[in-house]
Amino acid sequence: MIQVGLLTESQKNELVGQLYDEDSYFNPIQDLDNNWIISIEEIEFCVNPEFQWVKTLPLIEYKPKPEPPLSEE
Amino acid sequence: MGVYIKSRASTPAFDPDAQAFITAAGITDNTQKTAINTLVVSLKGYSIWGKMKAIYPFVGGTATSHKWNLKDPQDTNAAFRLVFSGGWTHSSTGALPNGVNGYADTFFNSLTNMSIIDCSLGSYVAGTASTNRSHIGYIAGTNQQFYLHTQTTTEKRGYTASSASAGYYMSKTGLTATTQRGFWAASNRSATDRAMICSDASFVYSTLSFSATQVSYSLYIGARNTSGAAASFDTMEHRLDFIGTALNDTELTNLRTSVITFNTTLGRQV
Repeated sequence: MIQVGLLTESQKNELVGQLYDEDSYFNPIQDLDNNWIISIEEIEFCVNPEFQWVKTLPLIEYKPKPEPPLSEE
Repeated sequence: MGVYIKSRASTPAFDPDAQAFITAAGITDNTQKTAINTLVVSLKGYSIWGKMKAIYPFVGGTATSHKWNLKDPQDTNAAFRLVFSGGWTHSSTGALPNGVNGYADTFFNSLTNMSIIDCSLGSYVAGTASTNRSHIGYIAGTNQQFYLHTQTTTEKRGYTASSASAGYYMSKTGLTATTQRGFWAASNRSATDRAMICSDASFVYSTLSFSATQVSYSLYIGARNTSGAAASFDTMEHRLDFIGTALNDTELTNLRTSVITFNTTLGRQV
């Protein structure tokens, strides 16, 4: 089971466009239930002092949205 | 009478392009330096170097060392330096996207930086393949595309044409967990001459004619750029990726040899 960090809408807005380490950006996405989430790697490897609060995010099971349809006709 | 021996630690003379990358990426390990230098010298020896637009060797073990383009190691989008987003694990074995939201933007534009009938791209990957994941490339709708894709755990595809119909893409089936790994690359030589080299060095071809309308999207690594958004997030570890102009079969084979040698020197061959 893959776990991810659950974000509020406002927390998602805070993270968009922000670095979690020197050369890696947060990438909040929505899961199957339209929750905003970030990955466990973003949480674990976050060294940006401004966003250490991600380490206290509740963890939930990752339920991916269906991938875009395969590009096959 | 004493004997005076004058000695001085010698520094190997590296190829200038290799040295520029080593300096930019902050590589200090001698094995890694040698591997980079041998890769550059090898590609130049095969006359492939000039056909490369971007090469990402993923050496050094961090996002900061993995972001550099060996062909142009400058910290700019115009130099196709990678920008990582989402979850990645960087280590001495390469760059592992998490299959959830991790991808890297190459800033290599499908409209302004390449011609769809004179282009190539490829990945040397390790680890575990998952269904419907992309190693590198882009897709816009169903008609413009250029990407390497793990269709299923037993099939890899190279989508390199304007149509996604069977016969327009190259397909290698019957793969196993082991043969999903290794060097994969696709090359568009013309609208009727496309090839994919597979991990076992075999080739798959497509000769169906297409007429592509160029579109403007950045190629992604660790996912595919799907009309401007990352999707099909990869689960395989990337140990080298490249983007270039068209390569013939001999060049694809020689590139494969160079990449395998490079990763073998680093002790991370598959």
